[in-house]
Amino acid sequence: MRMRSRARVLPIVTLVLTVSLACSRKAPPEAALDSKHPDSSSIYAVNYPLFYFAERMVAASVRVVFPVPEGIDPAFWKPSAEAVREYQKASLILLNGAGYARWTRYSTLPQARIVITAKGCRDAFLSSEETAQHQHGPEGEHAHAGLAFTTWLDFRLAVCQAAHIRDALVERWPEEKANIASEFESLERDLLDLDQRMREVGKAMRDQPLLASHPVYAYLADAYGLSIESLHLEPDQVLSEDDWREIDALRTQHHARRMLWEAPPLEATESGLIARGLTSLVFDPAARRPSEGDFMAAMKANVDRLECATGIKECR
Amino acid sequence: MRDSIYLAWRYLRHHRAKTLLLVLSLSLFLGLPLVMRAMSRATQQSLISRAESTPLLLGKKGSSLDLVVEALYFQLKNVEPITEADVDAMHATGLALGIPIRMGLSARNFPLVGTSLDYFPFRGLRIAAGRELAIMGECVLGAQAAETLGLGPGDALLTSPSTLFDLAGVYPLKLHVVGVLEPSYGPDDEAVFVDLKTAWVGEGLGHGHEDVARAGPDVVLKRQDGAVTANAKLVQYNEVTESNLDSFHFHGDRSTYPVTAVIVVPHDEKAGVLLRGRFVDAPTRQLLRPAQVVDSLNKQIFRFERVLQIVVWTVGLATTLMFVLVMVLSWRLRAEELRMMTRLGCSRWKAGQIMGSEIAIMVSASVVVAVGFGILIAQFGETWLQNLILRGS
Repeated sequence: MRMRSRARVLPIVTLVLTVSLACSRKAPPEAALDSKHPDSSSIYAVNYPLFYFAERMVAASVRVVFPVPEGIDPAFWKPSAEAVREYQKASLILLNGAGYARWTRYSTLPQARIVITAKGCRDAFLSSEETAQHQHGPEGEHAHAGLAFTTWLDFRLAVCQAAHIRDALVERWPEEKANIASEFESLERDLLDLDQRMREVGKAMRDQPLLASHPVYAYLADAYGLSIESLHLEPDQVLSEDDWREIDALRTQHHARRMLWEAPPLEATESGLIARGLTSLVFDPAARRPSEGDFMAAMKANVDRLECATGIKECR
Repeated sequence: MRDSIYLAWRYLRHHRAKTLLLVLSLSLFLGLPLVMRAMSRATQQSLISRAESTPLLLGKKGSSLDLVVEALYFQLKNVEPITEADVDAMHATGLALGIPIRMGLSARNFPLVGTSLDYFPFRGLRIAAGRELAIMGECVLGAQAAETLGLGPGDALLTSPSTLFDLAGVYPLKLHVVGVLEPSYGPDDEAVFVDLKTAWVGEGLGHGHEDVARAGPDVVLKRQDGAVTANAKLVQYNEVTESNLDSFHFHGDRSTYPVTAVIVVPHDEKAGVLLRGRFVDAPTRQLLRPAQVVDSLNKQIFRFERVLQIVVWTVGLATTLMFVLVMVLSWRLRAEELRMMTRLGCSRWKAGQIMGSEIAIMVSASVVVAVGFGILIAQFGETWLQNLILRGS
C-alpha cells in the first residue's frame, strides 16, 4: 500500500520539477518611466528670470516651479537632496549656464531633461573677479576663477536664453508650438525694447563711470558700454569704516557720481553716499522674485530709473 | 505487475549502496547534457537580452567585444576611454539620448559604475530602499552587492585604491549609500552606481580641499601675484559632506574627461540609422550594435557547446556500458536467487518483470535527480557561467 502511494507521487514530482525548470526564466523587469518623457508636466528653473520666461510661453496646464526659498540668492542656494529630487522629477530643468547655481555642479540631474539656456549665446562668458590662484598636487597651478553669471542683464542674451527655452518647450509639447511661438515673439519684443532703451542709456552714460554695490552687472556693462567698478556691499547692512574707506579709495581712481544697488540701500548709507557726491540708483537684477510685479516690471523700472538719471526721460 | 515492482523495490532498498551508485551514475549521464543545454541557453538568452535592450554603444575604436563586455556587463577590460565631449556631441545631434558609462574603479570587489540618472529608467531599474542619487559622493547599490556587503541606505562604502602601492596616488573616496536597487537578475545587481562626477572624483580628476586663500602659513609655500602655492599639508577631503561640498571642483576642460562608453538611445529608427551612418568612417570612434557583437559571442559558445556535447555523449556511452555490465554481473551473482524463485513457482517471465522493474525504478530515480540538479544549476549556475564566459572573452 505504501509502495503504491509512493509510485503515484513519483511522476507528479517529476512533472512539477520539469514545469518549474521550464518556468525558471526570470521575469523581465517592468517597463520603467521613459527618461525623456517623465509623467509629470513640470518645469523647474534655477532662477527667477528663467522661471518668468518659461511661464510666459508655456501652457497653463504645465507647472513652472522656482523652488528657491524666499530671501536666498538662487546663485548660492544649497538645496537639500529632497529639493534636488524634485528637480529630477521635472519634465524640463532650466539651467542658466555660465556657472550659475553652483549646486548644479555637484548634483545629479538627468542630462536628457536639462536645458542650459545661455549655452552658445556668447563665444565666451565674462569672468568674475578671480579668487587666489594656488598650486598643490600633481595638476599644478590653478585658480578657481568663476564666470559672471547674471547673463540676462544683457537683454539680447536674455532673448537667446528665452529662445532656447522656446525650443525645448516646442520639443516637449509640439502640439503647443503655435502658442509658444506667439508668446515668445511677445517676450522677445519686450526684451528688445528694453535692449533698445538701454542702448540709449549706454550712449548717455558713455563718459559717466558707475560704482556697483555687487559684481553682478558685468553683462549690463559689457552690452551697453557702461564703465562699472564693483564692490561687495549689502544694501540692508550698515557699512563699516572699512567699506567707506574702500569706496573713497575706489573713487580716487574711478570718478563715479552714481552707484548701482540691487535693492534700495539703508537711509544712512544713502546719506553717506550723497555726502560724497554719489547718487544711489537701484537696478534689481531680479534673480529672485521681486516683492512687487514680475521680471518685466522690475526691468522696466530699472531702465526707467537709469533714463531718469541720465535725463533721457523727464522725471519728477 | 505491482507485485514485481514491490519485489524490485524491496531488492533495491536492501542493496542501497549499489542502487545509489547506479542511480548517481545514471543521473550524471542524464543530467549533464540537460544542465549544459539549460545553462548555455539561459546564459545566451541573458547575454543577448541585455545586448538587444541596448540599441547602440559608442566607444573608442578597438575590440568591440571588450567594449560591450565592459560597458554592458561591467567586466573590466581596460578599454581606452572616449571623452565627455562625445556625450555632449551625442546630445547635440538631437537624434539620441547619450548615457555615459565610466568604469575603472571598484568598491570592495564590486565594480563602480559612473553614469547619469538616465541609466536607471533606461534599464528599468527601480529603487527598493532609500532613494536615487542626488548629490555628489552618493552611491546606489545593486541588490546582490547590497546583500553581499550587508549595506543599505545610511551606510558608507570606500572605493578601492586603484594602485595599492602608489602612496602618491588617489586616496579612496568614502561613498554614502543612499539607495538599493530592486533585483534585476543581471550585471546591475552586482554593481555600485555613482554619478559620473563622483566617479571622476574617485579617479582624482576632481577634488575638494580647504580654502588655500585662507590657509595658514604652515600650508602655504608662497603667495605671489595672486597665486598661492600650497604644500602637501593641504588637507584634501576623502568624503563629500554638506560642509565641504562647495570646495569640490574639477580642473581643466571637463569635455576632455574620460568616459568608457556611451549607451546611445536613438529617438527613433531613422535617427539610429542616421547616427550609424555618421560613424561608419569615424577614425577613432566606433558606434556598434551590442546585439551583433553578443550574437557572434553566442555563436562561439554554441560551437563550444557542440564539442562539449560530443564529450558528454562519449561519457554517457561509457556509463551505459558500465550500467549494463553491472546489471549483467549482478544477475549472474543472483543466479541462485533466481533458481530459488523458479522453484517456488515463479515463471521466467515474472523473474524478468522483477529485473525490469528494478531497472525502471533506478532510471526513473535518475531522471528525477537529473532534473532536480538541472533546476538548481539553471538557477544558480547561469551567473557563474556568464562571468566565466565574459572574463575569458
